Amino acid sequence: MDDDPLDFEVQDDLLVSLPINKKRKKAIGLDDLLNDHYKEQDKLLEKNNKKAKKKAKEKKKYEDEDRKEAYLTRILKAFGEESEIPVWGVKVFGEQKPFPPLDFTDLGSCNFIQSFLKNKLNSVVELAPDKGDSFLEGLLVNGWLSKLAFLSGQVEKPVAIWAFNTMLYSSKEELQNSSSDFWCGILSTGKEVDQFSVKIDWFPEYKDLRSALDTYGFLFKFSSSAGHESSDSDSGVPPQNIRAWIRFVTSCCLIRNKKAIFSTVEAEEIVEIIICLFLDRQFQGLLVLLNDCMKAIVNYFTDQEWRSSCENIAKFIACRVSEDLNCIQIVECVSEVSSRCKQLRSAIAYQSLLSCFDGVRYLPLPSSLFMVVHKKSKMKGPDPLGEPGTKWEISTSAVQGFKPIMWLLYARREQFKNADVAGRRIWIVNSGEEILKSLDAINFKDKNCDFFKMYVHLVLIENWVLSNSFDEDNPVIYEMFCSFLRYCSSLISATDLRTYASKVRHKASYLLHFSV
Amino acid sequence: MKNPSSSNNEQCNKAAIEDNMLLTMFDSSSDSNITNQDALDERIGFLDAVRGSSIGLQNGKPPTSKIFGAVFHMLRTGNSIQLIVASYMLLVDLEKHFPRAYLSGVDDSLLSSNSPPELVVAEEAWSPLIVGLDNATAVSEAGDKQSGGPLDPSSFHLLIEELAETLTESNIQATSMKPLQNLLLFQYLVIVLESDFLPRNVTMNWSLQRESLLNMLLVEKNSESQLSKNCHTALSFALLEVLKNTRVSVEKLLVMIMALDTSRKKADIEGHTSRADGPRTPLVDIILDDLAYNKDSVPHFLKIFSEPKSKLEIVVQYLWKYITKPSTRTRRSNGFTEDTTFEGALKCFSNNTGTKSIIKKIGADVVQLLLAHGFQAQLSILSERNANDNIGGDKEEGANALVDLCQTFISAFDSLRSTDRQENHFSAF
Repeated sequence: MDDDPLDFEVQDDLLVSLPINKKRKKAIGLDDLLNDHYKEQDKLLEKNNKKAKKKAKEKKKYEDEDRKEAYLTRILKAFGEESEIPVWGVKVFGEQKPFPPLDFTDLGSCNFIQSFLKNKLNSVVELAPDKGDSFLEGLLVNGWLSKLAFLSGQVEKPVAIWAFNTMLYSSKEELQNSSSDFWCGILSTGKEVDQFSVKIDWFPEYKDLRSALDTYGFLFKFSSSAGHESSDSDSGVPPQNIRAWIRFVTSCCLIRNKKAIFSTVEAEEIVEIIICLFLDRQFQGLLVLLNDCMKAIVNYFTDQEWRSSCENIAKFIACRVSEDLNCIQIVECVSEVSSRCKQLRSAIAYQSLLSCFDGVRYLPLPSSLFMVVHKKSKMKGPDPLGEPGTKWEISTSAVQGFKPIMWLLYARREQFKNADVAGRRIWIVNSGEEILKSLDAINFKDKNCDFFKMYVHLVLIENWVLSNSFDEDNPVIYEMFCSFLRYCSSLISATDLRTYASKVRHKASYLLHFSV
Repeated sequence: MKNPSSSNNEQCNKAAIEDNMLLTMFDSSSDSNITNQDALDERIGFLDAVRGSSIGLQNGKPPTSKIFGAVFHMLRTGNSIQLIVASYMLLVDLEKHFPRAYLSGVDDSLLSSNSPPELVVAEEAWSPLIVGLDNATAVSEAGDKQSGGPLDPSSFHLLIEELAETLTESNIQATSMKPLQNLLLFQYLVIVLESDFLPRNVTMNWSLQRESLLNMLLVEKNSESQLSKNCHTALSFALLEVLKNTRVSVEKLLVMIMALDTSRKKADIEGHTSRADGPRTPLVDIILDDLAYNKDSVPHFLKIFSEPKSKLEIVVQYLWKYITKPSTRTRRSNGFTEDTTFEGALKCFSNNTGTKSIIKKIGADVVQLLLAHGFQAQLSILSERNANDNIGGDKEEGANALVDLCQTFISAFDSLRSTDRQENHFSAF
């Protein structure tokens, strides 16, 4: 077999766009790197020794030391990068866009302002028709606007729009706060479940909120692998109005009985947005605000909607998150305050787990793989793989690493079900049960065993299994999980110094003691 | 299977193991200066584990004092935003989940029934505040007050002074964790005080109200009354530039103290207080003194202090302090009782002399502000009352009261303006 790719690989989009995992390559190549380094140093020393006869001794010594130092620094750097696992955090905001120009010419015409103008007491207030917005600002900040709304029982459209835009686009902290207080106040009125005590002539739509977020620079095409936060401080900082935005969305979610502001799909997107905000380290201090919003939006759905929405959200998130600490952060940001939050947490954990296992293996990388065609293809015409029983050998150097092969197997999983790989069985996983089964095959002593990934998987499995009542509903899965925990806690040596080995061990023993 | 006694035992053992295990997770890196990501992860993991083993379980028990202490320590000494906010949130959630005092039998269906609700107090509950003499030794043992342990009254007052300093700075510098820690610590303490005081105050029973953390904190013998006065002054200053949530907390604390004062006054009148209760200046008096000395802070204070009942009380007392009482009328002679309400105060502006004298005393600007805010507060109270009356009828009467109030207000304001104009006119010469 030569090194040309298999003909069906060429067509495979999955293979074409494969990201080459540099980190992993480095991990494998670290020993080689050192060896290369020593070899090169030896060569260099030899060379230098020859040159040394001609050059002054001292000069040579310095040059040599400089080189040595440079090499060592480079190696140490490579070493440091390798063992350091980046903290969670994703840049979810890009550059801010210019705020929309705010036009308040309508204000003067509304009855609210007119009634002031017509009142004989206007000689005291001295309000001019074109100064409507600064007059309203005064009323807003001093708490009069909401009092007048309650007394008159109405909020006119121009006033509502004005307050909404002030909340989202004013740069003055005081105005942001009081306008969000105003809106949240009028939304939460009314003792009856399905009626406001104030007639509100205008409600914002989701697109208004979305475009505000867009203006703040929110990256809707979010992907956690797109890169961690850069130190670049200029872009990626949303305006303070984002707090008012979150607070307002929370209030909107609480009034579905009176006014359903979001459609189901829109509400799903809001959950996704809130989860993204949790991933931005800039919002660490807004935990309380974000949690309240999450609780509210999750309860916005009807029972019927929730069943499919929960899964949609989980799938959306899972296919965008990379297999690192962000994965854990996402699961943990959904607090377990209500049964719906628990469901969501479990669903996200499960979907992330499935996407993590799309091609990830704990088995070491063999130099070549043998695959036996298991089933006949359903394709019309001659099957490029051949009849069942045909044996293929794939050199791993040809496809650069193990992951592409797993992609390949995954793409053709129907045909390669449980293919034999160099005498060892590969699990093509597409269910949680199979993932758990595959974990049994891990050899902790193997030097390629990736404990960090295992830690991520352990947390995901924990959240998936323990948030469901598997101990009653699916004892098989539950028992497999327990056995995996026992396996981790007893077979990982306490003296194992590899990154995350002790974390996996501790986590497993902790869960074993208190959670199962 | 298991017999009940052994399972009970097992549970105790399990709890004890859990405590130790949880604490070892955290002790391994107990120096307050964590820069290491691993150590931070461990602490976050610890908080999650505490949450999971208390709030997360059905019929879960509150964590032990040791665990509470450890979480509180993180809030006070942690140096990452994530850790500080997470420990704050856990403490608040624990307080909500395991309230230290509540009324039993309070249920919507039982509200109308005659049996008074009974106060249930979790005596053993861990507290972030050390009050009362019993704990004096505990405080001295704790030694260094910056250690991150529970606060005694003097540390509490110190906290408020620090807070006031932070908040009066023109812009809060986002360079250190300390201000954030102080703000959250303060908010948490107010939540604790509230959770303990509000149910006690509903009972209207001084012997229960007296034992509230709030009362014990305020009458603490160790702290000189001068200090506590400073603390309240600091509080009212703190209102000026406060951040949104802390502002709410500060206001809550002030309103709560005023409610305690009212309860105490009532208890005094009914003879339920004793010498042991100690003397304490009511908060309103302190605030009024403070506002009288610092006229510049009046507009800020009134703008931020929004709770109508307390606000009206402050405004009314402020006004009546300076309104010249008619000396010719005595209460007994013709049965006339002085109308020391807000509307009563408004009526004093109907004659020129009265208005002139009060402008002289506190200045037209301040009078104008007091009237406007008093009007706003009164309006809120009236319209809320009307909304409640709507169910039972009497709509007309409520509406009339509103119209009356507005008319008195307008005429008081007119009189204020014209008098002020005259004064200015004269002073211009």
